Amino acid sequence: MKIEKQVLTRVEGEAVLHLEWDKGKIIDAKINIPNTRGIEKVLEGRPFMDALVINPRVCGICGHAHLIATAMALEKVLGIESISTKAKIVRSITQLTEMIQNHIKWFYFFVMPDFVKINENLNEYKSFKGVQWRKAVSISSEIVKVIALFAGQWPHSSYAIPGGITSTFGEREVFRAKNYIKKTKDFFLKEVVGIDEEEFLKLRKKGNFGELKGDFGRFLELVYENEMHNIGKAYNRFLSGGGLYLCLKPSYKKGKGRRCKFNVEEVKELNPPDYTKARPVRYKGLPYETGPLARQLLYKNPFVKKLYSLYEDSYLTRVSARVLEIWELLSLIEKLLEKLIEHLDEKSFEGEINKQASGQGVSFIEAARGTLIHKVVVEKGKIMKYEIITPSQWNLGPRCNKYLGVAEKAIIGLDSELKAEMVLRSFDLCSVCTTH
Amino acid sequence: MNLIWLQRLTCSGNTHSLLSSEDANLVFEEFEVLFHPSFSVESEEEVIKKVLKKGKLNILVVEGAINKEDDIVKKLCKIADYVIAVGSCAVYGNLPALKDKDVSGLQFRFKEKGGILGKSFISRKGYPVINLSGCPANPEWITGTLLKIKSKRKLNLDELGRPKEYYNSLAHWGCSRNEFFEWKVEAKSLGKEKGCLFYHFGCRGPLTHSTCNVILWNGVNSKTRAGTPCFGCTEYDFPRENLWETKQYAGIPAELPLGVSKRGYIMVSGMAKMFAPERLKNED
Repeated sequence: MKIEKQVLTRVEGEAVLHLEWDKGKIIDAKINIPNTRGIEKVLEGRPFMDALVINPRVCGICGHAHLIATAMALEKVLGIESISTKAKIVRSITQLTEMIQNHIKWFYFFVMPDFVKINENLNEYKSFKGVQWRKAVSISSEIVKVIALFAGQWPHSSYAIPGGITSTFGEREVFRAKNYIKKTKDFFLKEVVGIDEEEFLKLRKKGNFGELKGDFGRFLELVYENEMHNIGKAYNRFLSGGGLYLCLKPSYKKGKGRRCKFNVEEVKELNPPDYTKARPVRYKGLPYETGPLARQLLYKNPFVKKLYSLYEDSYLTRVSARVLEIWELLSLIEKLLEKLIEHLDEKSFEGEINKQASGQGVSFIEAARGTLIHKVVVEKGKIMKYEIITPSQWNLGPRCNKYLGVAEKAIIGLDSELKAEMVLRSFDLCSVCTTH
Repeated sequence: MNLIWLQRLTCSGNTHSLLSSEDANLVFEEFEVLFHPSFSVESEEEVIKKVLKKGKLNILVVEGAINKEDDIVKKLCKIADYVIAVGSCAVYGNLPALKDKDVSGLQFRFKEKGGILGKSFISRKGYPVINLSGCPANPEWITGTLLKIKSKRKLNLDELGRPKEYYNSLAHWGCSRNEFFEWKVEAKSLGKEKGCLFYHFGCRGPLTHSTCNVILWNGVNSKTRAGTPCFGCTEYDFPRENLWETKQYAGIPAELPLGVSKRGYIMVSGMAKMFAPERLKNED
């Protein structure tokens, strides 16, 4: 038996993968996240509004999701039941936009370079110098302008506050945002799937993912060439907290079973085993996969339905679901921007923030990698306790007494270290979020 | 010129800030990036081993706060021509250092000079650690500083090791709410177009060294332009407690705009308030 330790690159933050081998196969996999920055501790004792500034700093790539989750949890504490439609729409637009930049960066910076390791001739996908890699850098700096237009900046804005948002804006910002979305749509059609909109929509209707071209098409070829279409299967159980405007209801699903209503009360965070600082999280005692695959399955995306029917929750299905979700998110933002125009005259922020409030608040929203939960206890305006459960804790968290972690399970049985890393990257480990 | 970018205790926010610059590709064009944890295929250990053996490195960029036991970072700093701390964690220790005494910035721990490298550290080309503070640093400060080093122009640093071109002015410069500040028209609530956020809402714009309102974020906006107070994230005391409120004594902000005397402030603001034009006070 051989034991191997690999410090990973191309994950968000620091992580170590331990693999145990027997007769050329991986018989155990442990994901170790060695560091924590103690953010929940930093929050304790502070006025609750400080969380709106500190929590985005949990994560450089999905900090905006943490901001929105914070604002929503504090709204529960303060008993704020509704905010203006304008504020609600804009929060969703910025939240969805953050997911898009994340999806693009992950596909081009984390996923595709793995294939360069297998085939050195894939020059266009090489880190730093590849033509497609560089295009992904360019579009990443473009798309985040949509967030900055409404939220001031990206990364690390604090524009969402209990009761609404801080910014005021007009048609001009909406038109500019539309233009950046259009550019990103063009990027998706031209570079990612390599066909025009009409053709794409035709294929989408039938779920014919195999006819997509561009970099996604190239990805498909590489997956089949390397026989990776059936590897990396996990528990076949999916969960999404929903919360995406007009898009999805909180739900979970076992395999091909019925969709059930998600109840945040059933989520439990357990103590970590000795090899990591990350805590396992379970729903009704069971491990669940969250993220784009879960969302797009529950959302019944025709491409993903077809992929799933052929390859279940494999590496191929998981990566494809995330890449193809870019389109769904862009279409949703387009609709929301249309709608926003009708609500521009509304207030950005309403009511008052009672700085001496006491109470508890739980919020759950969808971040790029899946369901994010914030829980806060406030007494006389001060944070007594703050708990964050991140998507990577669901997907890449460790084992509990009964069950392996989701990604751990997906890695066991593989026959190469590179494949193990690739499967891990298909979940996209955000270690900075996981231990925060 | 070659470059290594390391991450330690960080949220990766400065990497994503770099990627938010329109000039990010220029950096990848101009520099040979030997390693960056978010992009490299090679392992960190192997690249560093090779570089240390050679004993030569042009630029070391460190993102994130550092544990005092981190010998790898210390060794690399010794052989690097230039050492850049990007973001307030690498500069001052910031959030990760708040609850852990063994964690600090490269050459500072909050306001105290020293850090893991010591007060007198000078890199091979004669500079202390080049500090790009900010949580995160503005994308253009990162690309601008890197490209300036490449062009072999002399860097002018302030006493905290920050390039003066980005840290000599205040976040207040270029703020779209300046006229409200001038006439002491206070914002009555968040989420409004009018009013200055300095008096009640904790805005640190007049006390914070940065060019956030001149070199706009993502080329389009800034916190204060979006109605959010500046939280002073380029300074060592970020994140202060009670970030959304201005501490006041007898109706006067406890901390006044940089370099302004209390007497001067009371005189000028009293006059300004008295003669403030109505158009600034009316909510549209």
